Amino acid sequence: MHLGNRTLCLLLIAGMLASIPGAVHSADDALHLENYRGQVVILDFWASWCVPCRRSFPWLNSMHAKYAEEGLVIIGVNLDHNKADAETFLSEIPADFQIYYDDDKELARQFDVIAMPSSYIIGRDGEQIKRHLGFKVRLQPEYEAAIIEALKKRGT
Amino acid sequence: MMMSKVKPLFVASLVVWLGCGCSSMGVEPWERDILAKDEMQLSGDPIEAATDDHIYFSKEASSGGRGFGGGGCGCN
Amino acid sequence: MSNSDKHKVTATLAAATCSLLGSSLPDPVHAQEDSTWDFNTALLYYGEDNDRVQDLSVSVLAKRTLVDDRLLTLGITLDGLTGASPNGALPQSFAQTFTQPSGKRIYSIDASQLPIDDTFKDTRLALTANWQQPLGRLYQFNVGASASREYDYTHLGINGKIARDFNKRNTTLSAGVAIAHDSIEPVGGAPEGLSPMLNVGDLSNRNKSDTKDIFDVVVGVSQVISRDLIVQLNYSYSDSSGYLSDPYKLLSVVDGVSGDAIPRPQLPGIEGPSHIFLYEQRPEDRVKHSLYAQAKHYRNGKVLDASYRYMTDDWEIDSHTIDLRYRWPIRGTHYIEPHLRFYSQSAAEFYNLSLVDGDPLPDYVSADYRLGDFDAITAGLKYGWQTGGGKDMSVRLELYRQSGKVAASQLIGNQVNQDNYPDLNAIILQIGYQFGK
Repeated sequence: MHLGNRTLCLLLIAGMLASIPGAVHSADDALHLENYRGQVVILDFWASWCVPCRRSFPWLNSMHAKYAEEGLVIIGVNLDHNKADAETFLSEIPADFQIYYDDDKELARQFDVIAMPSSYIIGRDGEQIKRHLGFKVRLQPEYEAAIIEALKKRGT
Repeated sequence: MMMSKVKPLFVASLVVWLGCGCSSMGVEPWERDILAKDEMQLSGDPIEAATDDHIYFSKEASSGGRGFGGGGCGCN
Repeated sequence: MSNSDKHKVTATLAAATCSLLGSSLPDPVHAQEDSTWDFNTALLYYGEDNDRVQDLSVSVLAKRTLVDDRLLTLGITLDGLTGASPNGALPQSFAQTFTQPSGKRIYSIDASQLPIDDTFKDTRLALTANWQQPLGRLYQFNVGASASREYDYTHLGINGKIARDFNKRNTTLSAGVAIAHDSIEPVGGAPEGLSPMLNVGDLSNRNKSDTKDIFDVVVGVSQVISRDLIVQLNYSYSDSSGYLSDPYKLLSVVDGVSGDAIPRPQLPGIEGPSHIFLYEQRPEDRVKHSLYAQAKHYRNGKVLDASYRYMTDDWEIDSHTIDLRYRWPIRGTHYIEPHLRFYSQSAAEFYNLSLVDGDPLPDYVSADYRLGDFDAITAGLKYGWQTGGGKDMSVRLELYRQSGKVAASQLIGNQVNQDNYPDLNAIILQIGYQFGK
């Protein structure tokens, strides 16, 4: 069966988009970062009531578009009190990247989150390379440079 | 005199505040959802506050003393 | 292969496939939250009973948020004042005549009426500007300016503030400074303190204008106590120097036994005051200290805002203010907010109802009711909602009552028969409308 190029593309996109909201984890399905060894992971801690988080999403989406092929994985770690608030936010500002719901806030504590939003760059070797506190539009080039830097390093 | 009590009282409160457990009081950065709401801001409605200040300044002998910063979502 | 790996692979494949096939994924959105304008407007009516002051004002506050937490705020207020203000003289069991501040004509007050001067029709324009931005991650600073103009008063001021967060932003320390230079050009000129009110056309005891300088410092700390409770504590210091008197206020000179105003010899063909009145004189300096504490607590959608302020100054005025607001959401975006305010002040050391004829003149004296002993209570209700278009609207109605406390020992002779310090009753009605992109 020969599917038109455009149709195939649309199907793939649909499949991708449909699967991403489905990539949610409940507390007993904890995030296993070791599964991402070999890739660069950005853990971005956010919440629906955080205005700079609203600003960071389009930028994270563009990073995802640009560097996913090169091995960049972005995981938006949600720290909302009520999941419904996060879902409302996502319906207004969709994420092209994965969302993980840190219900018991264990991941936030593990990474000692002291600011909202916070993003951590974890290298291909599983080690934390950088931490960015807050999100400033004028620092975007700096954030992107850190990602490129991390992607360059070949992990073992 | 009353006046001389105010300053030391404030300084004492500040010392106690920062020195003791008060400074370790608070919430984690992700627990600011309620504090981020408009109605939980310390400053309140700006026009209403300015109007009231103006009225009471015109009718009474005291003025201001109020509001400043802090609280809110604590973002960035 | 974990779920996430599968998704990653799918995503990569999709991206790769799509680009190979010549169609592209949606353009990455680079536009961040654009700079936005937010407008807050209000219409206010303030009205006192007994033909006293009435004020109508309109205010607009424009806020422009710029990327990375920078904020420009511009405000403008225009208000029109009419009505009468007590001039400080005491009511008598006979009619009295006063010269207007302009010195152009006289006005009369009936027996047993509180002497009020109704020559005030004033329009005031006030402007404010403020710039706020972060400094580094944990500091924030503000700079601002204010100016106002009415026909007899000009104000110019600048202010600055810096704040720093501690303890994962649970604690904020702030410090602010404001300086202002005001100039007063009273109608007819500022009268020499303790000089008598003169006949129509006689402005010999007037100075054209005078000035006042104010220096304010505020330091404060705010602390997040829990997820739904925040408190703050501020200390303020204020120093005013220059012309601090009210150029339109005077005192009755009375007989030491009867307490009645002393008649003034009238010259034929010349109009002037019927009795002896002396203009007030306040000190040239005033230092105030205030302590302010506030708490805001959230519970099930309702917010309680409670505050207390203590003020004391070197004029020996002490005051206490308790302010309570309770915001109560009802059905959708609608809410009501009852408001209660209690105020109490003790008189200035130089406050006096009248001057006794023949007694040596004090250095400072004023009969301005605003420097006296009184309690005041405000009770109000605000109703707010969001319109269909998502704009915030509110209406608030408040009643303000001020009750003077005059000690019997302060009254001389016949003064006990008069209402020397009538209650002030006022209505405050405000309509607010907020909109923006």
